[in-house]
Amino acid sequence: MVRIRGVHRRFGQVHALRGVSFDVPAGSMVALVGRSGSGKTTLLNVVGGLDRPDEGTVEVDGAEVTGLDEDGLSRLRREKVSYVFQTFGLIPVLSAAENVGAPLRLARMPAADREKRVALLLDLVGLGEHARQRPGELSGGQQQRVAIARALASSPRLLIADEPTGQLDAETGRSVMALLRAVVESEQVTALVSTHDPVMMALADRVVRISDGQVSE
Amino acid sequence: MTVLTGRLSVLRFSLHWPSVRGRARADTGPLILSALVVALVSLLAGAVPGLMRDTADAAVRDAVRQAGPSADVTVQARWEPDDFTSDGSPGRMRMSHLAADLADLRGRSLEQLSPDLRAALRPPVASVITPTLRFTDGSVLRTFRMAYLDGGDSPKVEWIDGSAPPATVDGEADVPYNGPPWRVRVGLSESAAASSGVRPGALLQVRDERGATKNVQVSGIFRPVDRNDPAWRLAPWLLDPAADADGAGTTRFGGLLTAESLPDARLAFKPDELRRIVTFSPDPSVITWETAHGIAATAITLKATSATSSSLDTAPTWNTQLDAVLRDVTEQVSAARVQASVLLFAVIAGAVLILALAASLLGRRRSAALALARQRGAALPVLGAELLLESGLVTLVAAALGCAGAYLVTGGVAVWWVAPVVLAAAAAGPAYGIIAAASATRDRRVPANRSARRWLRHTAALRRAAAEIAVLLAATAAVVSLFQRGPAPGLPALAPTLAAVAASLLLLRLLPLVTGLVLHRLLRSRRPLAVFGAAQAAASAGRALPVLALVTSAVLAVFALTLGATVQQGLIDGARETVGADARIDITDEASGTTAEVAARIAAQPGVTSVSTAQVIDGARIIADEALVPSRLIIRSGGVSDPSVPALVRSSSGQLRPGMSLELRRDDEPPVRLTASGVAPVVSGAEEIVIVDAAALAAAGVESAPNTIWVNGPGTESAVTGAGALLRSEVLRDRRAAPLVNGLLWLSWASAALLVLLGLAGFALAAAAGAPQRWQTLSRLRTLGLTPRDARRVATGELVPWALATAVGGIMAGAALTALFSALELRLLTGQEADPAVVWPWLGLAVVAALFVAAVPVVVRFEAVARRRRQLAEVLRVGGQ
Repeated sequence: MVRIRGVHRRFGQVHALRGVSFDVPAGSMVALVGRSGSGKTTLLNVVGGLDRPDEGTVEVDGAEVTGLDEDGLSRLRREKVSYVFQTFGLIPVLSAAENVGAPLRLARMPAADREKRVALLLDLVGLGEHARQRPGELSGGQQQRVAIARALASSPRLLIADEPTGQLDAETGRSVMALLRAVVESEQVTALVSTHDPVMMALADRVVRISDGQVSE
Repeated sequence: MTVLTGRLSVLRFSLHWPSVRGRARADTGPLILSALVVALVSLLAGAVPGLMRDTADAAVRDAVRQAGPSADVTVQARWEPDDFTSDGSPGRMRMSHLAADLADLRGRSLEQLSPDLRAALRPPVASVITPTLRFTDGSVLRTFRMAYLDGGDSPKVEWIDGSAPPATVDGEADVPYNGPPWRVRVGLSESAAASSGVRPGALLQVRDERGATKNVQVSGIFRPVDRNDPAWRLAPWLLDPAADADGAGTTRFGGLLTAESLPDARLAFKPDELRRIVTFSPDPSVITWETAHGIAATAITLKATSATSSSLDTAPTWNTQLDAVLRDVTEQVSAARVQASVLLFAVIAGAVLILALAASLLGRRRSAALALARQRGAALPVLGAELLLESGLVTLVAAALGCAGAYLVTGGVAVWWVAPVVLAAAAAGPAYGIIAAASATRDRRVPANRSARRWLRHTAALRRAAAEIAVLLAATAAVVSLFQRGPAPGLPALAPTLAAVAASLLLLRLLPLVTGLVLHRLLRSRRPLAVFGAAQAAASAGRALPVLALVTSAVLAVFALTLGATVQQGLIDGARETVGADARIDITDEASGTTAEVAARIAAQPGVTSVSTAQVIDGARIIADEALVPSRLIIRSGGVSDPSVPALVRSSSGQLRPGMSLELRRDDEPPVRLTASGVAPVVSGAEEIVIVDAAALAAAGVESAPNTIWVNGPGTESAVTGAGALLRSEVLRDRRAAPLVNGLLWLSWASAALLVLLGLAGFALAAAAGAPQRWQTLSRLRTLGLTPRDARRVATGELVPWALATAVGGIMAGAALTALFSALELRLLTGQEADPAVVWPWLGLAVVAALFVAAVPVVVRFEAVARRRRQLAEVLRVGGQ
């Protein structure tokens, strides 16, 4: 599903990624672990097309991400790749349902289908009763659940999650991780998750360790 | 004291200078913008009061100068009776001491003046001027008057031919009533003699208005030693014949009397036809706005304590219109000063709001750094001192530059007007910084309890509502006070500014409702960009300071713009009201031709489209409700729309009303009954007006004698040249050039421009303050597949409501604010009888609206370019904003 080959990324004098190469099979959940500053987020950004490598190639579902122009990257993000961020990234004035439906609006899905899909996803993340609430009215764990539902809305092939439990307490973090694991299985999504959380590592199909910009496994 | 010094020294050593320098370097843009605002507003606010003071002085002097002879202070006294003879036979006595009597009156008058009035007047000139006589040689239309002038040692003349007029007889003499016309000897000026071809010894063939012949002989030809001697101003026709004074070809000549020939001149006329007058001309250069009130009050007292003009004894009667001239101009100046204050308050309010906005932007930009400093142990007072040092320095340098400019322009600085801006600029930055630092490290969390959170929300809402109600009450009080007290300093002058702030608050309440409604409707649409844009707009619509600053600036800019346009049009309308047409000619008694002849001559000129005549009688005795209402009576042909009902009325006192029965009183004639049938048009210079139809009045037995001509048409100016006409174009030019009007118009345009600039700066600041949040959200949307172009559209959607609220709301609220114009008494500036109608400067309003709307794509483009260099990934990192 994801092929990473010889990826280098430098920020000035800092060599954040040094020839990173590995594959992520379709339908699997890979945990990316490493200390702060090891290059986890940089690698996720390169894989998701949010950043461009200085060298190397990344393929997602057969498409070479590193060769796409801005419109191609937008299309990739709209159709194949979704993100879950540590800070949730919800739009404050929209309800939970509207936030989940945002990618579907961009995909111009008919309203009726969109509403059905949103309801399904909110039920999936256990927030069916909170559909009309705004992010400010939800707890951190609930917001992250909404973010996961939004990430799944457009039926992506790849879900990229950067420290999804970073702002949550341990218990909430565990439930979010369990949810992620569950949706990967139920939605047949490939997941690449950066984490420090041992629980997440235990839930992952594979753990990739990154140290000083290199894969150390 | 020691403790305080100790604390200050601790503070000095605690300041972290690298942070102070680093912050200033990082935020150069907002700091420079704040400095520019302070400098510009300091320049304007510091200079305008001084300019207004100078302008007020100039206006007072200009008014006195324009008033001319009507502002003179005159003392008039009858001569001692001369209707007796030494032997008791019927006749008159030649009194040889008349010149000495006149000099004595001049001296006594001077002594009666109070010091302040004396300081404002030039040395007195005593004069005796005869009624107008007409030459009877029939060659050309000429009139003749004789005058005796005594300004102490002036005016001096040099006799270049013949001699100074001697007495007809020496000493006192009895003159029988039935004797031949008494001979008077006069001197003619060099130019008068040359133009009339008269030599010393010649007898002038002149008659009075009753046809009685006068015996006037020229004794000599003189040349003035100083043509600019102020004494000549009373009788300029003594020096040069005044040609075409009435447009009918008349030339006015004058003959100079001496102390010796003055007694003979008295005998040549009826006993009361010659009056002795002492004239004090005001010296405009020494009258100022501040002294004008005192001078006017003294003049009124002088008039009130003097004898009446109808007095039959020789007691002096004081007369002057100087008090009225000064009263009018001081009223005008007072109104203009308040109107200027209104504009200054508007500019200062706009500036203070923009400075607060700039400070809030700085607070937002620095919140992370300040929080970090706090976490590292920096105390709030130290952080406050660092920020105060920065803002104080920037403000003082900017204010010093602005004040220096104001000083160069006016020679002084109005510190009290500059102070609010300086204080706001210096205090706002530290205040926002400390709030940001304190809230970042404050151990106050959002309560977990829902009811506690609701209580907090309600408390905040109540606090805000209380503040808004306070502003609304203040605005209401100011508006009421403006309508009650008129354009007075203090609260009334704040009315437009407070009303603008109140309108902005109203809009601030409406904007979230409107954007929420729009979002609600768009959520059903199939346009994702519109939904995201509306969502962004709804999120930022409730930001109080940007909306307040933007809308207030726009409202006040529209107010200033409309004020300027209204005054400008009011001047044009006022000039038309004053003149009544393109030109007006008031026919004087000295005119040799009749009104009809002059009107016919002008009507025959090319480019004259209409000429109309009427008789205008000021002070006509109109009786209404059994009370005397002195009115201006205008008798014109076809002047009344309904000939069956003969009078149109207009009354500022309300004593003349349509439907009333009026009575026109006449001397020795039965009164004429009039019926007020309608409202007369506005006529400048009269408060009580009655217009009647000449034919209807003639039917009632009153023949009219037109004395005024109104002329219209493109050729008017050339047609009435030399006719002593009052031209509308000249009136308009003079009024536009008048210091007060000119100054206020300039201030209106400058205030409008500055407020628009402040509004645009506010828009940029408000956008900049929200930019991190906006682009963070847009970046998140881009991870969902939004293209960069679409992101710019969504950003535009967020900013459009602010621009529309500013453009549309600002114009509408500014238009509503023009209702205050009627209380500002703009008529005092425009010279109209009623306040000018509001004039909408459509082009200016369109430009203002367009500027705010056009600011949206410019700001979005700028923001997009500024963020293009930053990778999407960088934006999405935690804290990477």
